[in-house]
Amino acid sequence: MRPLKLTVFLLLPFLIKSRPAYCQPAIAITLTEKNAPLQKVLDDIHEKTGYTYAGFGDWPSVSRPVSFSVTNASIDEVLSLCFRDQPLIYEVNTVDRTISIRVRPKEDREVHGWVFDENREPMARVSIHVVGEGDAMSGDNGEFKVWVHYAGVHLVFSMVGYERKEVALPEPGRDLQVELASHVGTLEVVTVHTGYQDQRKLNTTGSFDVVDNDLLNRHVAPNILDHIDGVTSGVLFNKNIASGVNQSTISVRGRSTIFGNPNPLIILDNFPYNGDINNINPADVENITVLKDAAAAAIWGAFAGNGVIVITTKKAKAGQGQRISFTTSQTGSQKVNLYYPQVLSSSDYIDIEQYLFRQGWYDGYFTSPLYPALTPAVEIFGQRSRGMITADDSARQINALKKIDTRKDVDRYFYRRGLNSRYSLSFSGGNEKDQYYLSAGYDRNLTFLTHDDYDRVTLLGNNSYTLVPKKLELSTNLIFAGSTTYLNNSGNYGINYPYAKLADAQRNPLPVAYGLRLPYVDTAGGGKLLDWHYRPLDELRNANNVVHLNDYRINLGLRYCIRKGLEARAYYQYSKTDSNFVQYFSLKTYRARNLINSFAQDSAGIFNFPVPRGGILNENLSAISGNNVRLLLSYNDSLFRNGWLSLMTGSEVRDIEGTGRVNWLYGYNPELGSSIPVDYLHSYPNYTNDQPMQLPYQDTRTGSAERYISYYANGSYLYRGRYMLSASVRRDESNLFGVNANQKGVPLWSVGGAWELSKEQFYRWSSMPFLRLRVTNGYNGNIDRNVSAYTTAVINGGLNPYNNINASIVNPANPSLRWERVQIFNAGIDFATKENRLSGTIEYFIKSGIDLIGESPLDPTTGFSTFTGNTANMINHGLDMTLQGNINIGSVRWNAVLLFSFARDRVTRYLAKQGTVRDYMSVGTINPLKGRPLYSIFALPWKGLSAQTGDPQGLFQGKMSTDYANILGSDILSNMIYKGAANPTLFGSWRNTFYRKQWELSFNVIYKFGYVFRRSSIFYYNVFIQASPGHPDYERRWQTAGDEKRTNVPSLVLSTDPNRDDFYRNSEALIERGDNVRLQDLQLGYTLGRPTHPNLPVQAIKFYLYANNIGILWKANHAGIDPDYVQTLSPPKTLAVGVKIDY
Amino acid sequence: MSQLLKSINLLWLIPALWMLGIACHKQDFLNKKPSTTLVVPTTLSDFQALMDNVKVFGLVPTLGEASADNYFVSYPAWLILPTREHNAYIWAKDIYGGQGEQQDWNVPYQQVYYANVVLEGIKKMKLAPDSVAQWKAIEGAALFCRAFAFYNLAQLFAPIYDSTTASTDLGIPIRTSSLVDTLSARSSVQVTYDQILNDLHNAEAFLPTDLPGKVLNRPTEVTAQALLARVYLSMRNYTKARLCADSVLQVYSTLMDYSDLAVTTPVPINMLNPETLYQASFLGGPNTVAYFSSISANYPTTWIDTGLIKSYDSNDLRRITFYRSRPSDTTSLRFGYTGMAYPFGGLAVDELFLIRAEGAAKAGDALAAINDINILLRSRWKPGTFTDYTVASVGNVLELVRTERRKELAFRGLRWTDLRRLNKEGANITLTRVLVDSAQNTKRYTLAPNNLNYTLPIPPDVISLNGAIQQNPRNQ
Repeated sequence: MRPLKLTVFLLLPFLIKSRPAYCQPAIAITLTEKNAPLQKVLDDIHEKTGYTYAGFGDWPSVSRPVSFSVTNASIDEVLSLCFRDQPLIYEVNTVDRTISIRVRPKEDREVHGWVFDENREPMARVSIHVVGEGDAMSGDNGEFKVWVHYAGVHLVFSMVGYERKEVALPEPGRDLQVELASHVGTLEVVTVHTGYQDQRKLNTTGSFDVVDNDLLNRHVAPNILDHIDGVTSGVLFNKNIASGVNQSTISVRGRSTIFGNPNPLIILDNFPYNGDINNINPADVENITVLKDAAAAAIWGAFAGNGVIVITTKKAKAGQGQRISFTTSQTGSQKVNLYYPQVLSSSDYIDIEQYLFRQGWYDGYFTSPLYPALTPAVEIFGQRSRGMITADDSARQINALKKIDTRKDVDRYFYRRGLNSRYSLSFSGGNEKDQYYLSAGYDRNLTFLTHDDYDRVTLLGNNSYTLVPKKLELSTNLIFAGSTTYLNNSGNYGINYPYAKLADAQRNPLPVAYGLRLPYVDTAGGGKLLDWHYRPLDELRNANNVVHLNDYRINLGLRYCIRKGLEARAYYQYSKTDSNFVQYFSLKTYRARNLINSFAQDSAGIFNFPVPRGGILNENLSAISGNNVRLLLSYNDSLFRNGWLSLMTGSEVRDIEGTGRVNWLYGYNPELGSSIPVDYLHSYPNYTNDQPMQLPYQDTRTGSAERYISYYANGSYLYRGRYMLSASVRRDESNLFGVNANQKGVPLWSVGGAWELSKEQFYRWSSMPFLRLRVTNGYNGNIDRNVSAYTTAVINGGLNPYNNINASIVNPANPSLRWERVQIFNAGIDFATKENRLSGTIEYFIKSGIDLIGESPLDPTTGFSTFTGNTANMINHGLDMTLQGNINIGSVRWNAVLLFSFARDRVTRYLAKQGTVRDYMSVGTINPLKGRPLYSIFALPWKGLSAQTGDPQGLFQGKMSTDYANILGSDILSNMIYKGAANPTLFGSWRNTFYRKQWELSFNVIYKFGYVFRRSSIFYYNVFIQASPGHPDYERRWQTAGDEKRTNVPSLVLSTDPNRDDFYRNSEALIERGDNVRLQDLQLGYTLGRPTHPNLPVQAIKFYLYANNIGILWKANHAGIDPDYVQTLSPPKTLAVGVKIDY
Repeated sequence: MSQLLKSINLLWLIPALWMLGIACHKQDFLNKKPSTTLVVPTTLSDFQALMDNVKVFGLVPTLGEASADNYFVSYPAWLILPTREHNAYIWAKDIYGGQGEQQDWNVPYQQVYYANVVLEGIKKMKLAPDSVAQWKAIEGAALFCRAFAFYNLAQLFAPIYDSTTASTDLGIPIRTSSLVDTLSARSSVQVTYDQILNDLHNAEAFLPTDLPGKVLNRPTEVTAQALLARVYLSMRNYTKARLCADSVLQVYSTLMDYSDLAVTTPVPINMLNPETLYQASFLGGPNTVAYFSSISANYPTTWIDTGLIKSYDSNDLRRITFYRSRPSDTTSLRFGYTGMAYPFGGLAVDELFLIRAEGAAKAGDALAAINDINILLRSRWKPGTFTDYTVASVGNVLELVRTERRKELAFRGLRWTDLRRLNKEGANITLTRVLVDSAQNTKRYTLAPNNLNYTLPIPPDVISLNGAIQQNPRNQ
């Protein structure tokens, strides 16, 4: 708790800042004037408010007519409208309610100056309005001259597509330089954060996607990355993750690595984030920038091959005044639908068991000295066959079992409706010199699994101080997150038959067949052993597994302006994550009881227990600490006429060190914290099977270090505001490869160019006032921490039986090992139509992964059956498109955003030839095939079922065949059919938002097309060996001749050859199209604010409802399968209610 | 404030110092090990740690025993045997069902790889004079282990050694380099055995002369001689086999007296027993995933060959030490010299007595042969019940030796080689399997002497990944 206190202490001074007091009786004026003389208007105001006016000089004659319309406006607002265009000066006295008017002093002079856009490009034909006097226009090189007659007037610069700007007159003799900011939709004013610098999007050549605060807040979820699901183009959230094939849940523009790290780099503010993403409170996040191409991500060099996601936390803005904001939301979820995964009914399952029993399958089990667990039905069949019960009894008991569905009990005891509560409070404020942002958040999540709870506290403090005005600025950023996670419900309760009864009518836990046979555990040890039954419900209730996580991050930043345009910056971050996973297995848990019993030594009825009869404590502690230092120099200034140069260079050092410690304590007493020593060295025969065993020994320490040194430079040159060139270079060195330090580095670079066509003189397309083309090319890198150039070994934990330390080789020598490189070519068009009705971006990219780490099967004669090295290349090309439309229909504003992404990858080089057809279909391994996507679905030709036997039939050597071993073992790859990519190749979303007065309604439709998946069916062998609960396709199986005409489900045969099932599993018959469209979410918001409700006690208050996981609108498959959740339970629908209050 | 501004000018120094700092400390900074448990093996203790990995070296292949005639299974039990055991049981043409990653091939070649890493690493080392004893022991152990692996592979995947055809018969791939990017073709049987003998003779020169002690995974000179005896016997070079066995027994000939064993306890023989020279278990021992499950002492439905069981005299303690009676008059295996459920595959003194006896019998030295058998059986029978054989009482000495060899060395991974060897000498042993299904249909499989199927097929992944490796021809 100490660091927490420290944080509060450090932040305290900023909380005490007083709020500027202002107090004014509210006057609400509603008034409409059209070309009215000023005097008439002032009379009207007098009538409504009682304010009188008096003037000096001939003010009525120089005054100009006035037009405006206001509702509920203040006196200040109305008067500023009246005098906006007047060569007059006015003063208001709110005490005696008078307005005094004077004519501005005469001051005839010519004002001379230039007008630029934000790129320092001179702007021609900008209209310049001299208040009360007349209009002018800038010339070709942005130069202008206007004559002014009165002192103190303003010049108003305006141009289509740019923010209007009012500028005071310069001192006599000085020229004026005016910069206009463009406002062609969000596209133009967007700032991108690369983690190194903030840039106007228009000042870059790269591919960026920015999710602003409004869009982030649309979603309600504790994990910040979920907030960008479905709202960023080119970013795919993979829901259907297959295990063992190195898939990432998030992919930016498809895939360009095979065995390397597939995850995008996450940056929190300035530095890579190595903590748990769940520790970031979404309420503290201002925006997220996704860096997609080489130019955008090149600054992250060897870490950027998979794209970069930059999370920027909230910071106070200079001079904004103190703000307090409070947000809360309550998200309720439905119960999970346990009946969604299709499994065999209890009745069918027992029928199969009966069939197996009759075939003699279980004969060995009944006499086995190992007493393997047998399901209740098999026990009954066994009792019947040994004449222990009558046929009637057997039938009655079996029928009773057939009526049980375990899922009913599981649903009742293991699942619940989830509730996620979130609270967040923030303070921000500051003046021109110092700013602060402080926030505290509390989350409580009762997940849909009972006994699994989650608590999180987050604190954030951002401060910036001006030490020397305009010279030196210090910023600090402190982040703390602490969470407690209870993992007491694994959801996998270890029951592999569908008719287990978990509790009796009084909710008392019941034992199930698990591990050892029930008749054995009923009597084993004659009462001298601990209860040896396994009761899933007891396991749930007595589980005690908790993870405590503390995460601290301290950032310091220093900016020093050396001279105009040249700036030095230094950043430092210290981070520490402590994770403490403690599992306590009390004597009530099966794990403790089973271990104690297994080691029990029975010498003639005297029992000795080498494992003490007490609880077992398993502690798994880990800590990761990081030190990051970065120094950089940046230079921004005009270079040559009409040119603007930006340069940045620097270097950084990163050191991330981890320590881990795992230990077990036996005979643990949680009251006293005491434990009992045990003998790890002696071998004891297992109570059941006499196998000598040593007590499980766990007491290990681990350490890890990731170190990097990086150097980088990037720069851009903008000429005439429309031509831009950019380039970057970066070199990274690390300690990971075990190669000599001078070979550790990898240089990566990018170049890019952009052309704002619409700024050309010849450009005449008036309905498309903004059009920009850009192209980049370059290299990013990627890293695989698991490979080394040297033969590397690990020292194995524990000693060999002769008490010597021993080692295993994990990696054969690979002298030619290099970092993976990803070349990215990107070409894009940004455009906007008049008044921003339709704007968007279309980008085409090619990502080529070069020297990818490939794990290829190797002739095991070498000593390794796989080889890991830079053996592969792949290419990935596609299109990202964002289209945004704004339409006003009456008082409703409709904003529609269409995201469309196409990404198709193809392995272009893969040295190793795979063994057989089977390898390409095996689950849990990556087997790329040259010319096909990395994750491809292949299938075997399907020739229906045999009319005689109901056996599935395929093709071998061109002929119909049931020789499954040879079909699967064939190395002729043309024997298999490519069915499609396993991941969506065409995806995106269509988000619609409707605004009407204070209401806001939005919904997001997500679509995924162009992929296939392999569905499940009945695979008998897996049911026989109790590895699978089966599949209801069993009901449609082939049973008699003729069935082959109506079904593809093979007949039930007692075959121990898994090849028959494997053939069916991998056949065309089970391939489905994955294409689907879903209504992901719906949001409804209502905002009350001061402008509309002046009596509101707070600045603004927003209420919102958010429904998520609403459902599938359309899917291509007819098998009732949600392609996002083929293997897993689909997430329940959730509904969030929230309120955000700004003070 | 001007003070501050002045000090700020010094900020220029920071980048300069920074770059200097990086330049000076870069080497140290980047040489930090990524993980504390990771080593690039370069020292003698690293190499010793590799050789001490009994999860790699302490294992022998099992397909030979699975194909041999020491056991049988019932039909339902056969049905649920893993594919390779299921097929090996009936000597099918293909036994892997298309599945690669066969441990019978991969594990010995992993041993070869480890040995090659150690041998190459030691060559690169600068050796201090005080570590000579250690490097010699490690180098000798690596040579011994490589030879043991090659020998075990040759028993399964190459035909039995026959001096008349050895130079043309296909042997196994011989790998003497740790480079994984070069593949090897098959050598001839002659080259295979030359390599094995060469490695063993070299090992003999390097290994310490200590007698076997309590560290039974580290070979000594006698261990290498013991393996040489086994290799020469398999080559039917009885003279050299006898010589090698004799040179071991001259210095170490301890036999356990079975009457001293606590046969009623679950583990009658400890893994550190004095008879064992080199400890190794069948693949699938406690150190790897269950592999040859059907031969494990815990397997409920694998029975010992009835003829073998009946061949033990009622006073022969090997009957109750090696086997456990089961319901319905069947017998299964107990824990052997490994002290575990998985059978012993290493080297022990009893085998050397039998090799020396066989060598003697072949040389016509009946007295010496019978003497060795008597020494062995005295330690195996109940005290006082064994009457020594004499030259007069024994009709065929060679037959006696071979019968005792089978009884003593059942489930030691030697029977398959013996079958191949003896059939080569005209023993004419035909193996038969009988399977009766639930409908009482009987299926009978036989393996004729010297059948091609005595040489097992090479795993399919080896064949498809290495074009230079030729598959063994198989019948049926």
